[in-house]
Amino acid sequence: MIDFLTKIMPNVVENWSGDNGILLGIGQTLYMTFWTTLIGGILGLILGIALVVTEKKGILANAVVYSILDKIVNIFRSIPFVILLAVAFPLTQLLVHTTIGPKGALVPLILGSAPFYARQVQNTLVQVDSGVIESAEALGYGPWTIVFSVYLREGLPDLIRTSVLTIISIIGLTAMAGAVGAGGLGYIAISKGYQRYQNDIIWVCTLLILVIVFIVQGLGDLWARKVDHS
Amino acid sequence: MAAEPIIELKNICVTFKEDKRDVHAVDHVDLNVDRGDIYGVVGYSGAGKSTLIRVINLLQRPTNADASVKVNGTDLLGLDASKLRGERRKIGMIFQHFNLMQSLSIADNVDFALKKAHLSKADRKKRVAELLELVGLTDKADDYPAQLSGGQKQRVGIARALANRPDILISDEATSALDPKTTVAILDLLADLNRKLGLTVVLITHEMDAVKRICNRVAVMEAGRLVETGDLLQIFSQPEAPLTKDFIDTTTHLESALAAVNQQAAIKHLQVGSVLVQLGYQGESTDQPLITELYRRFEVSANILYGNLEILQGTPVGNLLVILSGTPKHTEQALVFMKEQRVSVKVLKSGTEEVSVHD
Repeated sequence: MIDFLTKIMPNVVENWSGDNGILLGIGQTLYMTFWTTLIGGILGLILGIALVVTEKKGILANAVVYSILDKIVNIFRSIPFVILLAVAFPLTQLLVHTTIGPKGALVPLILGSAPFYARQVQNTLVQVDSGVIESAEALGYGPWTIVFSVYLREGLPDLIRTSVLTIISIIGLTAMAGAVGAGGLGYIAISKGYQRYQNDIIWVCTLLILVIVFIVQGLGDLWARKVDHS
Repeated sequence: MAAEPIIELKNICVTFKEDKRDVHAVDHVDLNVDRGDIYGVVGYSGAGKSTLIRVINLLQRPTNADASVKVNGTDLLGLDASKLRGERRKIGMIFQHFNLMQSLSIADNVDFALKKAHLSKADRKKRVAELLELVGLTDKADDYPAQLSGGQKQRVGIARALANRPDILISDEATSALDPKTTVAILDLLADLNRKLGLTVVLITHEMDAVKRICNRVAVMEAGRLVETGDLLQIFSQPEAPLTKDFIDTTTHLESALAAVNQQAAIKHLQVGSVLVQLGYQGESTDQPLITELYRRFEVSANILYGNLEILQGTPVGNLLVILSGTPKHTEQALVFMKEQRVSVKVLKSGTEEVSVHD
């Protein structure tokens, strides 16, 4: 078996484990994706909810807060990610005391994905039927109950779908972060596959990323379908 | 039943800014609803009914400073947010588009209303079962709203609105999205709840048929103002505002019948001694054999061109378009006689053409 694999993709077998190996790359990609999704997801969710409730017809309408949040989101969404990686260096150094490796990539990854996710959350939650919101107000519920029991519950199926979309785009960003020394499958594909003409590594890394994407997509779809009763 | 006010709205104004122009959605309205009333606010869309009705639970706040909103003796405008939410739980509300949560089962939709009811899990379950039984949906408890018909969805809406045992139910065009048969069933359910639970119902609608079926009091709304208010019978038998007449005609078709009748040759050339009259009667006066009596006493014949009979709150209310013919003197006597019989008589046209020689 090993002989066969060595024959069709010698470089992959050689670089499978050990320092800077593909196995480590998978771990690093998963590490970056997980923490970015978790922290960026929470930040994005809070920001998205804040946008929905403070907008003109929101349950806590506040034009000043809305326009500030709206501008922050727009600015961060406008900075190309590769540039954000560089721009975020000082902040990264301050927060995680390193600018390289998967840990160093987390700060720019979160800065890049949270605003993106916030906008997705906002677009999803504004579609929750305003009549349902009104009926919850008529039942004597305050903003907290309405956010958690109505917005997040009614919006859940679409929220799951947009979250999947966001996670997939985060996986894409981790590969890009690899270009500036963050490690992960993207880094391996470029530094070992592309730059050293080891095509089998490029293919395997691509395949592995696709597998991660498909698993995320599949689980997301399954969950969304389960909670969707409309 | 002693008239005890449960909703007192005084001097309500709601003004929206639209393109720098002030739109007076509700314009100095007073509204008083007594406990046990089924109060109908009727008007065309854009009249401000929905805005007005939302003032009752302050989903819409009056925009003038001197407005007063009292429900159950409590001045709602003086409450802080948390107390106001408590009061809102005592006012149920149902909606044109039902506004159920798609993500929750029918039982959970009703249960949703009980979040702040301070009941144990078992008691909540029991209450939900009770409510579903009340609206006849016990077998749908585990279904989701998407699987239900419009009428069933509205029943869920009603069950949810009643979960916290409110004294008042506000209905915002609750039957407007339903077919006529379902509309009647939902209206009857509301009337039934009014009797069984002593629930005060305020409903807004553009359908006079709905008002006619269950309301005991009516307000007619136009351009943010209440143009006429009164008991259903009074409004129906003696409407004053032109809009009220329009609305009543949508169910009696009297005005349209009159327009058609006026085109008839017999009316265009009404002879001396003949009159076209509109006779209105209600209650016991309908029991008399009036038409026969007219001929027996005065030899005045009656030709009925159009008739409409409504049963309002158990009282028959009738309207007839009739040509009375006799000698001018006898016809005059007949009209006086009918007035004595408590029949309202409105002469629409008196004959002017000389009697032609009969062939």
